[in-house]
Amino acid sequence: MLKKVVPLIETVDLQKSYFSGDLETPVLHGIDFVIQEGEFVSIMGPSGSGKSTLMHILGFLDTPTSGSYLFRGEKTRVLEDDALARIRATRVSFVFQAFNLLPRTTVLENVILPLLYHPTIPASEREERAMKAIAEVGLTERTTYLTNQLSGGQQQRVAIARALVTEPDIIFADEPTGNLDSASGLQVMNVLQELHDHQGSTIVLVTHEKATAEYAARIIQLLDGRISSDSRDFKRKDAKTNTDLK
Amino acid sequence: MLLNDTIGSAASALRAHKMRSALTMLGVIIGVGSVVLMVSVGKSFQRYILDQIASFSSNLVEVYPTGFEKFGGSTDSLTEDDFRAVEKLTTVQTVAPVIFITEKTTYGSEELSPWVFGTTKNFFANYGLKLQAGRLLDDRDNSAASSVAVISSQTAEDLFGNRDPLGQRIQVGKKFYTVVGVLQSIGSPVLQDMDTPVYVPYSTARAVTGQKYLSYMTLRAVGDYELTVADITSLLRQRHSIHNPENDKDKDDFVARSAEQATEIVGQVTLGLTAFMGLIAGISLLVGGIGIMNIMLVSVTERTKEIGLRKAVGARRSDILRQFLFEAVFLTSLGGVIGILLGTALGLFLSAVAAKLLGSFTFVLSVKALFAAMMMAMGTGLVFGLYPAKKAASLSPMEAIRWD
Repeated sequence: MLKKVVPLIETVDLQKSYFSGDLETPVLHGIDFVIQEGEFVSIMGPSGSGKSTLMHILGFLDTPTSGSYLFRGEKTRVLEDDALARIRATRVSFVFQAFNLLPRTTVLENVILPLLYHPTIPASEREERAMKAIAEVGLTERTTYLTNQLSGGQQQRVAIARALVTEPDIIFADEPTGNLDSASGLQVMNVLQELHDHQGSTIVLVTHEKATAEYAARIIQLLDGRISSDSRDFKRKDAKTNTDLK
Repeated sequence: MLLNDTIGSAASALRAHKMRSALTMLGVIIGVGSVVLMVSVGKSFQRYILDQIASFSSNLVEVYPTGFEKFGGSTDSLTEDDFRAVEKLTTVQTVAPVIFITEKTTYGSEELSPWVFGTTKNFFANYGLKLQAGRLLDDRDNSAASSVAVISSQTAEDLFGNRDPLGQRIQVGKKFYTVVGVLQSIGSPVLQDMDTPVYVPYSTARAVTGQKYLSYMTLRAVGDYELTVADITSLLRQRHSIHNPENDKDKDDFVARSAEQATEIVGQVTLGLTAFMGLIAGISLLVGGIGIMNIMLVSVTERTKEIGLRKAVGARRSDILRQFLFEAVFLTSLGGVIGILLGTALGLFLSAVAAKLLGSFTFVLSVKALFAAMMMAMGTGLVFGLYPAKKAASLSPMEAIRWD
């Protein structure tokens, strides 16, 4: 008999509404899906489809209005502020469209940043871990550069190193190529694909572009707060050989 | 998050915004600097004035009617017999009676209103007044009630300019006096009034004014002035038939007091002045504090993204709160130290200038004021940093990240 594998992420009828005064604006109308460990999934949809809200809930930046979100089989709705912060420090990482690096600060300091808030990694290991993460994105020679001295593509790779440094269970990348030209975007997608293919990292890529979404192995499409399709039935693009990223 | 990391994060944030950090500190630097400067300058002046008074007033005792300093008090209580009795006390060295002539002093077309003392030679010894030219009043002047005058340096200059005053005849009221002596200047800018009086023989003043009572008397104590004051007090109470075993000053019709006691009053006045200046400087520190809050609030808005990012990578509310609070307290403490250094340096500079102008001037650094200013600076950071820090800590990470 096969042992049942507990999925990394499982949502059941996940709903989210925003309230302003008496006015309720529903954004997510019941989302059900499962993401297994080691998957590379794109969540795709036009703006207003609820994909960012979904990512925030999955990334413990926000909580759902109703329904349940199970992380490694555990219900997460009732967590306190500090507990959410602890999960963000240890379990999940983000890569943002605007990079969100600290200004006028070195690459190394930026990559070390999440370790300052990590509850278990000792201070003595920080630099070694950060150097390893920087090496994985190919920026070892830029370690002491200030972030504003780097190109957009390099900055996003610093952000990816920062996401890797805590060895999280899952990385959320929110439009990571949105502010980049196609060559830099391709480099960033290449780094993400290699992380997935060689390190087995679980990655959720949020994008509104089909062309970008296709670098993942699975595309969940959102429309008006509902899943409109969930497909593995396409040819995955390879960032190493493909040059059509727009 | 470890304390070290809080300090590190705060330090790197401050380093990344040097201009803003410097501007934030400026208010505190000015505030603390002015508190230190004001209080120190006030204290230094107080010390200077007290030193000046002490230089001529050690074991000097003055006895005057209560009406001299209190409205409704007796003005006619000290008689010539009282004076002679005081003179015989073993604790009294040299005593001089004084009767004031309250009339204008003129020479030609020049008219002045200096104090005119009718007194004896002891007066000059008691106050340490020295002669510049001519002679002092002597016993013969008094026994003969002669029409001679000794004038102070400022009055000599005002009446005669560059001419030699000796032998000239000045007029006080209707009577003419021959100038026989000119005094040296005291040389103290605080006590300039002491360079203006005109002195005539006591007996002459008595005859001119018709006064039976003394305006006051001045004497040097033998040894400790407290004993002398006690002797005089019991002698005069006995002579004036004042039964006052409870030592109630209000019952007496005279006051015997050492000049050192008078300096305590001066001390209190200048202390009040120092406190007032300190208060004004303290207000500037408060303004500095509000400046900090202002800049920190702007900084929270400006750093919304950074705060959001820190939260996204796992910072708790308390981590953000501590970092921002630490930044504020660090800035105000550093500002406090710089302010103390600048305030002290400026105080030393002003003292050096004052020393050039006044002859001698000692800079008194108020350690209490330093300590208080430093505490106030740190308190300012804590109080005015708290609200912006709370605001930063309560930002939602999502809104913070989305913010552009």
